[in-house]
Amino acid sequence: MADHNDPNAVNSIFSDIDVSAADLYDLFGFASSDTDGGQKVVIALTFASVPAAGVFDTDMLYRILVSPDPRVVSMTEDKHSLKGLLRYFDEIKEKFLGPSKASEIRVTIDQNQRATVKFIDFPGTSFSTVIDTNKVTTIDTPDGHAIKAYIGGRDDAFFNDLTGFFRSINYAPQFYHVPHTMVGARELEIPKTLLELEGNYLFNFDPNDPEWGYKGNKRELPPGPLTWSGDKFYKDANGNFRFVYSGRDCQAGININAIILEIPLAFITSSPDDNRIVNTWGESWVLKAAEKIETIPDHPFWLEHPIALIGQLNLDAELKKYKLVDTDGQPFADAALSEREDNRQLGANNFWLAPHFIKRLAHLGWGFGPSISALGLQTSFDHDNSPVSVHKTYSLVSTAFPRVKKTLFQQLNMPDDSWNPKGLNIPLRRPAEIFVPNVCAIDMDTTGTWPFGRRPEDQVATRFLSMFLDMEAELNGKKYHVELLNDPALWNSAPIEPKTVPNPMKNDKEFLSDFPYLAEPWS
Amino acid sequence: MIDKQTDFESELERIREGLVELNGNAVTIPVDTAKVSRLAYLQYQRASLLGNLDALGDADATLDFAIENLGPSGDLYFLKANIHFKLHRLDEVEQDLQLGRDLLKSTSGRALKADLDFQQGRYQAARAEYEKLIEEERTWDTLARLAYFHFKMGAVEKGDRLYDEAVDTLTAKEMRHYSWIELQRGVLDLTRGDYEKARSHYERADRAYSGHWLTQEHMAELAGAEEKFDEAERRYRDVVERVPRPDFQQALGELYLSMGKTTEAKRYLEEARDAFLRSADRGEVHYYHHLADFYADVEENGPAAVEWARKDLALRRNFSTLAALAWALYRAQQFSEALQLITEALSSGAEDARLFHTAGMIYTAASPNGKGARYLEKAAELNPNLKNFHVHR
Repeated sequence: MADHNDPNAVNSIFSDIDVSAADLYDLFGFASSDTDGGQKVVIALTFASVPAAGVFDTDMLYRILVSPDPRVVSMTEDKHSLKGLLRYFDEIKEKFLGPSKASEIRVTIDQNQRATVKFIDFPGTSFSTVIDTNKVTTIDTPDGHAIKAYIGGRDDAFFNDLTGFFRSINYAPQFYHVPHTMVGARELEIPKTLLELEGNYLFNFDPNDPEWGYKGNKRELPPGPLTWSGDKFYKDANGNFRFVYSGRDCQAGININAIILEIPLAFITSSPDDNRIVNTWGESWVLKAAEKIETIPDHPFWLEHPIALIGQLNLDAELKKYKLVDTDGQPFADAALSEREDNRQLGANNFWLAPHFIKRLAHLGWGFGPSISALGLQTSFDHDNSPVSVHKTYSLVSTAFPRVKKTLFQQLNMPDDSWNPKGLNIPLRRPAEIFVPNVCAIDMDTTGTWPFGRRPEDQVATRFLSMFLDMEAELNGKKYHVELLNDPALWNSAPIEPKTVPNPMKNDKEFLSDFPYLAEPWS
Repeated sequence: MIDKQTDFESELERIREGLVELNGNAVTIPVDTAKVSRLAYLQYQRASLLGNLDALGDADATLDFAIENLGPSGDLYFLKANIHFKLHRLDEVEQDLQLGRDLLKSTSGRALKADLDFQQGRYQAARAEYEKLIEEERTWDTLARLAYFHFKMGAVEKGDRLYDEAVDTLTAKEMRHYSWIELQRGVLDLTRGDYEKARSHYERADRAYSGHWLTQEHMAELAGAEEKFDEAERRYRDVVERVPRPDFQQALGELYLSMGKTTEAKRYLEEARDAFLRSADRGEVHYYHHLADFYADVEENGPAAVEWARKDLALRRNFSTLAALAWALYRAQQFSEALQLITEALSSGAEDARLFHTAGMIYTAASPNGKGARYLEKAAELNPNLKNFHVHR
């Protein structure tokens, strides 16, 4: 999930437009198991199925940007300081904003629901083609590669207890009718937490109304102060904490629209042996009003030459007719780390948000860190042994940094070696590397499981929480890892109710083993 | 051949479907916030789209019910404030903004408060708030508000740049807003006598959002100014048929006067005047400025014009209402007070051909110091076609 709750600008005050086709949901990326003719990378960008699953909004333009790179050594020790980290962000900024621009796949849909797909600035060529939607198509490139494409409706591949997540951050609009004009009533000033807070009546689970917060079931916003004044986690008569998560799949039965591509690595880079990392991110753009009235039928060039070289045509001019609405790279980069403000929809170019990222991570740490400690687990966040979650915000990055240093720089352990099938010397990833820039960095020598890409079956919401675990700690003789919180055994033995993993362990529909991988849409 | 629905018709149809869907189950106890808010919003949208000021009462009644049951929600009071603004009930707008929970902390509430300041002649407060809002987020509506401010104050280039940016911000999902901005830009060109540019904006407005009577009404005025009287008549008749409001009847009547068709003119003007007066009898205030204008320019009845212009000024003291009363006083040959008021209007910094023309006439009559001639020259500079057909907006 990048942001299932869509950017603020897309919501009008009284919901003229409930869901927008500009609302990007997820970006998946991993190395394909089909290596016939060379390695291929799978990239799937999913977004709201508006106007319907398999039917596309013709005012939209979607971009998938791709930037191959060699794998670099993991962030070295000298970077493990605030100064070093900011210098590191500066260095990588050049890579994404500098002269070597990313290649791009650009998709628009015409009135007949045919997709124009443009491949721009790839090493061998730039070209365009027009394909049917809702159909697997093979696109033969001018330089002899074959790209598989599917642009159409699918089942939503995201499976997550979205309500639980919003309960953990005290996000009022999930539970209350919050007037649009009440700008301060989004994330309320209550400690973020994994365990319910005693007396947090604004958000705690109500056994008499178990559906509250699910499927649009909301209450009126109470008139009193929207705060919490307690000092401990809630415990039931048996001494158990109450989990804010339920393990329910809030996305069950929901469809999305998707652009799914399987692209030969040799098409993306002329040095596939060296460039083992494919950085990718998605963008949604909507046609500007002024251009809508000037719209002319598709350029005859495209109609007469379904596959044509387009080097001479000025594509920037095309993009100028559109307005950027949403970006998607890493799951939770928008929703959990940047409070979903529209002006932070920067995608890969989120370098200037780096200081904010540190402050926000510290803010989250004061919520999740004490919750983890209360469960008897070790946390990467320094919360001074606080017995309960704390609501704390930072105005200075220098004061936030010491708290969050370990969370930022610790390597995220994997549960086993299956992610690295070739047994190569691939460094584990660190949160600081994962979220800035906001791209999905697919390691072609791995399975592409998060954070080495993102596979549909990854439970990324739960893996995201594992950042706050101390990866040096051990449980039952094994180091903590990104799947620890997704282990039912952990919760079965924890003093908590309900005894469930935070988020569902699998999707509501089986994924396909072959292209296009995401399941058929629900009818 | 099947007639394709216009954008106006399509939107109206969507609103109608929304209302049918909510019919009977929104204004019930227990109150469903989402439903009742949506009902009020759709009623407001429908009344606004149809130009039916009376129908705003439906939305107002729904809002009263919702507020009584749900408390002072900012969204509900925001809608209410908008209704009161349309009806010139400015004291109530102020009250609504205060009552809505956190409303004055919100962007939309603050923008409306700045509009209120503008209407009340607190120009620097309005400008400061528009600029602050834009600094926080460059939304199309705030940009358009500040653009209008600059145009009124004579900073045409600044206004144009802001309108350009506002237009660039709007997407294909907001074509009615785009069309509305094009109409505003057309009006500004019209008030400067540039008919070609005005037409170009109006035509774009029509292409962006087809079938709207508001565009038709603007084009009717332009055609009248260009002395394309047949076109103007056809368009105005269509508008009056679709939106039988007295201000449009007055416009059609005045057009007939320009055409020398006195019988037709008399009919529409009398109908307009009677409707204005009936509205005022009902305690409504939104036609005061039309009554002042009607008596000053159509009937040239100074004392009656003064009466209505004073009432309008009591509601909102801005350069436009000051100038309207000054003009009414001029008609009533009360030059001394007229001079005082037009001086106050000019001190606002507004630069408007019609304002300067009014000033020129008053100064010429009341103060033989040459200022009158200079204002008349300035008026002619700003709009060389000032004497052509026009309506009062």
